[in-house]
Amino acid sequence: MTDSVASDPKRRELEELLPFYANGRIAAADRARIEAALAADADLAARLEIIRDDMAETVLLNERLGAPSPRVLDRLLAGIEAQAQPAPLLTRATDGLGKGFIGWLGGLLAAQAPRRLAYAGACAAALIVLQGVAITGLALRDAGGGYRTASAPGSHATERYVLLSFAPEARAGEIAAFFKRFDASVVDGPRANGFFKVRVGDASLSDAQVDAIAARMKAESGIVSFVAAAP
Amino acid sequence: MHTESDEDLVKRIASGDRLAMKVLFSRHQVRVYRFVLRLVRDETLAEDVIGDVFMDLWRQADRFEGRASVATWLLAIARNKAWSQLRKRRDAALDDDYAANIEDESDGPEIVLQKQDKGLAIRACLERLSAEHREVVDLVYYHETSVEETARIVGIPENTVKTRLFHARKKLGEMLKAAGIDRGWP
Repeated sequence: MTDSVASDPKRRELEELLPFYANGRIAAADRARIEAALAADADLAARLEIIRDDMAETVLLNERLGAPSPRVLDRLLAGIEAQAQPAPLLTRATDGLGKGFIGWLGGLLAAQAPRRLAYAGACAAALIVLQGVAITGLALRDAGGGYRTASAPGSHATERYVLLSFAPEARAGEIAAFFKRFDASVVDGPRANGFFKVRVGDASLSDAQVDAIAARMKAESGIVSFVAAAP
Repeated sequence: MHTESDEDLVKRIASGDRLAMKVLFSRHQVRVYRFVLRLVRDETLAEDVIGDVFMDLWRQADRFEGRASVATWLLAIARNKAWSQLRKRRDAALDDDYAANIEDESDGPEIVLQKQDKGLAIRACLERLSAEHREVVDLVYYHETSVEETARIVGIPENTVKTRLFHARKKLGEMLKAAGIDRGWP
C-alpha cells in the first residue's frame, strides 16, 4: 500500500520531525509548522499518536533496566588513583636529586633498606586511606547524606512507582483530587515528553497491587492518558 | 540549593578534583549505563564500558570545549565504546544470554499479544529492533535528544538521523502488524 505521507516530500519532511516535536526538542519555527499541519492533516496526527505510544513504552523499557552497581565507581576511583600520582612524583624526585628538599628526600629514601621502605610505604598508604574516608564522609554529609542522580531522583527500593502522563484536557483541580484519591505524589517530572514518575505506595505493595493501581488510574481517562507500573 | 552545572564540574575535574568527578558520575551514570546496556545487552560489559567512559572523561576533561552538552559528550564516548565492544563480541550467544534474562519482555510479540497487552507487545518489538535502530529510538524517545545531538552522538548527518528514525519506526510498525496489531501505518 502506498504511504501517502511518505510519498509527498512536504508531508514527509514534517512527518520526520514528529518525534522531535513529541520529545520537545525542536525549533520554535518547526513546532509552529507542525502544529499548523497537525490541525489539517489527520494522517499526520495519527502518526503523532503512534509516536507517543512508542515513546511511552521506550521510556518504560529503559526505566526497567535499573542502575549500575556501586563497584563501577569504586573501580573508577581506584583507576584514577592508580594512574594519577606515581609518574609525576617519580619524575620530580629523579630530577631533583641533589637539589634542595626533594634531593635530600631522594637521598634519604635511597639510603633505606627495602623492608623499612615497605613498612613506611604501608603506613603512608593507610594514612591516605584514613584521610580519604574522613574527607569523603565529610563531603557526603555536607551533600545531604548522599548523591542523587539527575536521571533517577528519589528512586529507591522502599517505594513503588508508576509512570504517567496527563490528558491534555485535565484541569489542575482534577489532577490534585486524583493524587489525593490515590494517595500518590510526583517524584520526578515532567519530562519534555510530559511523563511523570509518581509514587503510589511503599515497597510492601506487590507487582499485582501496583498493576491494579495503574489500571484504576488508567480508567480515569479524562485525567490521565498513559499509566504503567514503573521500577 | 545551588546545583553546580555539568560544565563547571568538568572544569573542576580538569584540575584534578575527585569530588567533582564523583558528583558528575552520580549525575549521569544511570542514563549512560542504560544507553550502553540497550546496545551491548550485557550488564557486566555495560558496567565495564561506563567505567571506561568516565575514565576517558577524567583524562580528557581539559579538552572539553563546550560545543555540546556534557551529557551529549558522554553519550558519544559511550556509543563509540559500546559499538567497539559490539564489533568484538557480535555473536548470537550474547543476544541469547540477554534474551534469556528478560522475563515477559522476552516473549515474542505474538505471545505477548495473546496476553492482550499492547504496551508489552510494543516493548517486545522495541527489543527486537536492530542495534542501529535501537540507538536512535532510545536517544530520541528516552534520552530526549534533538536532531543535532543525535547526529553528534551517533556520528551521522542530521538528515540521516531523521531517515534512520523513520525507518526504525516503520520497522517497529511492521513487526507489530505481523504480530496482529495494525496501527494504520505502515
